[in-house]
Amino acid sequence: MPQPISTISLILLTALTLSATVMAWVRLIGKRPVGGSLDRSIIALTVLCTFGALGLFLYRWLIVNSQWQPLTAHVDGLLLIAVLLAGLILFLRSRAQVPGIAAFGLPVLTLVLAWAICASAWTFHPFPVGSVWLSLHLASVYVGTAMLAVAAMAGGLYLFAERRLRHKQAAPPPRLGSLEAIERVIIRTSTAGFGILTLGLLAGAVIYATEATTPGWWYAPKIILAVIVWCIYAVVMNVRHTTRFRGARAAWLSILGLVLLLAVWVFAISFLGDPPAVTPPQEPGTAMMPHASHAQSLPAMVHPAQQEARPCES
Amino acid sequence: MRILMLGINHRTAAVQLRERVALSGPRLDAVFAEFARRYPGVELIVVSTCNRTEFYLARPTHQPPNVEQLMAFVAEHCETEQRTLAAAILHRENHEAAAHLFRVASGLDSMVLGEPQVLGQIKRAYEYATAQQVVGPVLHRLFQDALATAKHVRRETGIDKGRVSVGSVAVDFAHRIFESFEDKTVLGIGAGDMAKLALRHLQDLSPQKLWLVNRSPQRATRLAEVLRLSPQQGGARAWEDLDQLLVEADIILTSTASPEPIITAQRFRPLIKRRRNRPLFIIDLAVPRDVEAEVGTLANVYLYNIDDLQQVVVQTHEDRRGQVQTADAMLLEAAQACMTQVQNRDLGQLIALLRHRLHDLGQAESQRTLRRMATLHPAGIDPKMQAMLDEHNHRLINKILHMPVSRLDRRNANAPLAFYAAALRRLFALDDTEGHDEPNNDQDRTA
Repeated sequence: MPQPISTISLILLTALTLSATVMAWVRLIGKRPVGGSLDRSIIALTVLCTFGALGLFLYRWLIVNSQWQPLTAHVDGLLLIAVLLAGLILFLRSRAQVPGIAAFGLPVLTLVLAWAICASAWTFHPFPVGSVWLSLHLASVYVGTAMLAVAAMAGGLYLFAERRLRHKQAAPPPRLGSLEAIERVIIRTSTAGFGILTLGLLAGAVIYATEATTPGWWYAPKIILAVIVWCIYAVVMNVRHTTRFRGARAAWLSILGLVLLLAVWVFAISFLGDPPAVTPPQEPGTAMMPHASHAQSLPAMVHPAQQEARPCES
Repeated sequence: MRILMLGINHRTAAVQLRERVALSGPRLDAVFAEFARRYPGVELIVVSTCNRTEFYLARPTHQPPNVEQLMAFVAEHCETEQRTLAAAILHRENHEAAAHLFRVASGLDSMVLGEPQVLGQIKRAYEYATAQQVVGPVLHRLFQDALATAKHVRRETGIDKGRVSVGSVAVDFAHRIFESFEDKTVLGIGAGDMAKLALRHLQDLSPQKLWLVNRSPQRATRLAEVLRLSPQQGGARAWEDLDQLLVEADIILTSTASPEPIITAQRFRPLIKRRRNRPLFIIDLAVPRDVEAEVGTLANVYLYNIDDLQQVVVQTHEDRRGQVQTADAMLLEAAQACMTQVQNRDLGQLIALLRHRLHDLGQAESQRTLRRMATLHPAGIDPKMQAMLDEHNHRLINKILHMPVSRLDRRNANAPLAFYAAALRRLFALDDTEGHDEPNNDQDRTA
């Protein structure tokens, strides 16, 4: 069911983020030094987006859903990612001495919010969160993805900053942040994302292992791709202990990792379908509900009673 | 009030004269004390830096000192002949003086365009004069506005951004690679003057170690002494340690007279693994170059030669020059606004003085009329009638003043407030003293 308040709010937030993105790129690639007012505008818009997204997330959690469950649909997950991304952009920009992150983070934030509009207006489906494992899986995947998205953004910034250094361009404003600081952000966010994602993968594996009715679930494309992503981040996380994957290579790996992670999400779920014969979780006394990760591809499996029970903000 | 600026700077005076006129410490205290004694009620701030000594003062229009008196005062306290000083003196008044201060504070009048130190120097000069209690409302307003505008202009135009020497450019690039330097090792190869200058900049970063190598170990040791390196901070190492130092170093500054490259790709490539791919910043100031260009193409190696750094210096100068026009426009507008405020305040005081004087006249006329009326009414004047007469006077004066005062639209920045103020002073003789007025031409007296 369409949720006009959420959708309209998301459209407004996307427009704000898009404006901030344009400003951040004008600041980044402008030939002439730009004034501090542009900087302040970018920060103000990002702060607005952070609190706007947080407000909407809380509104959906506490008022629309009113089930004391923060993640009841994909749009909630995307909002959670948006809040984390915006907050991390602000933090990294000011406290971690990486001011260039805004130019790379804000486009990602815009895309996430645009995706959330689609998830709210056209492809809205509720999650049948029925078990602790599924809750853990969802939360870990969303938060982990947000962290890994930041790692990829920092990777993009690293490559951009390194290119400037290689081309021996002067150091006019804006400052992007030192390569050392950017690499530290890549490693730390990859480490955090890796840990959280590992938790999510383990929770997902438990779900599949306990719910699969036929053997062979572990070699489904989704599982294999997820393991590849896990391996990539295992490498990125350990670049400080290796000699081969420092600097630009770590940056490329962080970007590749996010691309593969999105591939797992979009490609594997949308086009490859389910792992063999998975039985959706079923709590005693409830109707059969689809697995959360299949919610988008399997809308018909949502029980009509559950759809009716889902609160509507209008 | 009249604002006056008198001074010399690097454009008008040679360093010998600037040295003599420079004021600080007890000499400056003596100047303030003598000035306050000789010209009470006149505001004064002295901005004295290595490139300029400028006296900013605000005084009532017809009060001393005028330009000649101020020049004599400066010559007397700086032990300089007045004739010598007059040849180099720069003189600005009112709007021009304000605009000059705003330009100086923004670094537009500096030897190195946009340099940031002058802002701090002006702030200190202002604070020092304030502590000496020779600053009044006019100079408070002028200097506070100048400091705020200078910050705004620098922020909006970026005129103080970029580096203007090879050493500082190298430091700037180092900051773009490394976040902190407390855990970094700097290696200096060569012991020439250029290396010394650039190493001083790198030394300011407080690296963990600063090693020096040279084919002649004595010269490396001497350079270590010149740089005052303690054993904990680093020192001279043998030329034979170079490979090991190439592994240890995070920043290499090389400036030798070697005809052949010292760091070749063939030599450096095997060291990369031992370095664990740590980023390396190489500054090659030598001509012919000490580092093969191919080294700069290796992963995590950032090689800059003297041309790369010079190019940045030139670019910085060009960028700053490109911002001058914008900055000037902003400064002029701000200076105009500041002067309008100063004049508004001046005009307000004049109007109050005028009102007070007219009321005094009215009071005197009332008394005169009452005395004449008393002769007509021997029984005495009714106090009510006396009150009515006073009220009549009061209202009449207020009505007379209302129209011209309301026409002095002080919110209108284009109104000729200075002209109005001068006219009021002249027409109603509002100044006690005359004879010290000067022509209001904002001229440069520089020879």
